[in-house]
Amino acid sequence: MAPSRTSTVKSKHAANKSGIRNSKTSTRSQSDGVVKSKKPKSKGAPPKPQKSTSTLATLKKKRRVYTEKELNIPALNMITPIGVEKPKGKKKGKIFVDDRESMMTILAIVNADKEGQIESKMMKARQMEEIREARKADAEKRQELRKAKLDETKEGMRKKRKRASMGDGEKKENVRSEAASGTKPLKLKKKTVSFA
Amino acid sequence: MRPLTEEETKTLFAKLANYTGNSLKNLIAPLDNGANSDRYVFRLHQQRCYYVRLSLANLAVSVSRDKLLSLGTCLGKFTKTGKFRLHITALPILSEHARYKVWVKANGEMPFLYGGHIVKAHVGRWSEDCPEHQGVIVYSMNDTPLGFGVTARSTAEARRLDPTGITCFRQADCGEYLRDEDSLFAS
Repeated sequence: MAPSRTSTVKSKHAANKSGIRNSKTSTRSQSDGVVKSKKPKSKGAPPKPQKSTSTLATLKKKRRVYTEKELNIPALNMITPIGVEKPKGKKKGKIFVDDRESMMTILAIVNADKEGQIESKMMKARQMEEIREARKADAEKRQELRKAKLDETKEGMRKKRKRASMGDGEKKENVRSEAASGTKPLKLKKKTVSFA
Repeated sequence: MRPLTEEETKTLFAKLANYTGNSLKNLIAPLDNGANSDRYVFRLHQQRCYYVRLSLANLAVSVSRDKLLSLGTCLGKFTKTGKFRLHITALPILSEHARYKVWVKANGEMPFLYGGHIVKAHVGRWSEDCPEHQGVIVYSMNDTPLGFGVTARSTAEARRLDPTGITCFRQADCGEYLRDEDSLFAS
C-alpha cells in the first residue's frame, strides 16, 4: 500500500520536473499509459472545485452581515452580562466623596426624597382615615334609620293593640300574653271558652 | 480604610434619614468656623462604616489595615448587595437627631431590651402624626435611648389597636451589646 501511495504523489511532480530518464519514477510514468491519460483530467479537475468554492465565497460575501442590534438578540443572552460590562474610556476605580459640599448636596437630595415619601405616606393615611370616618358615619346613620323604623312599627303595633283592647276589655290578659295580630284574640277567645 | 463612594454615601444617608429629620446635616457640619477646622467624616473599614473626626481618621492611617480594629463610632455595615444595615452603636447619633420617638413604660423596657417588639400596652407616649413603617427611636420614660425600630401602624391606627397588638417592630436594642458581643465589633 505504501509504495503505491508514494508513487501517486511523486508522479505528479516527477512527470514534469524530473529530467532523469533512468530514474524509477520516469520509467514508471512512461510505462503506465493509463495513468498518463488520467493526469490531465486530474490536473483539470482541481481548478473546477476551486472555482466553485470561490463562487460560493463571493456569494457568502454578498450576503448581508447583520449586526447584533439588528438580530434582536436579548441583551442578557451574551457572554458578558449587561450589568457586568464596564463602559469603555472610563477611568477604573471608585470615585470617593469626601468634601463637604458634595456630601451636603447628596444629603439634601436624599432628605428631600425622604421628606416627599413621608409626606405622601401621611397624605395617604389621612385620606384613608377620612374614608373610614365617612363609612363609619354612614353605617351609624343607617343603623339609626333602621332603629327608627323599628320603633315606628312597634308604636303602630302598640296603638293597634290598644284599640283592640279598648273594644273588648275583658280579654286583656290573654291578648297581652299572645301580643300578635288582631285576628288572634278571636281564636284565643274560642280556646278560653272551651277550657272554661 | 477609605472614604465612601457616592453610591455608598447615598445609601447611608437614605438609611439615616429614615430615623432623623432635617437636622441630619449637622452631622457633617464643621466643628468651628475656622478655615481648617476639624469635621466629622465617614470612613469605610472592612465593610463597616465609621463616623469619625477627620483628624482622628488621618491619624488612623498610620495603623496597618489588618491591625486596625475600629475607630470613631461604628454606624453599621454595608452588606455584599450594597445595602446598609445600622448597628446599635449608631444609637447615640440617631437619638440626637431623632424625628419620631416612642417612649416605653418601665414594664416594657425589659421585654424590649431582650429583643421583643413593642406592644401597645407598653407604650407610654409617642410622637403624633407618625406614619406607618417609619423609623422611630425608642426611649425609656426618663428619656434614655434604648434602641430603634419601625412603626407597625400609624399613630391614628395604633390608637384603635388592642393592648397586645404590636405598635413598633424592633430593629436594634441596647441588649445587643451583650447578645451580639462577639460579632458586633469584629466579624
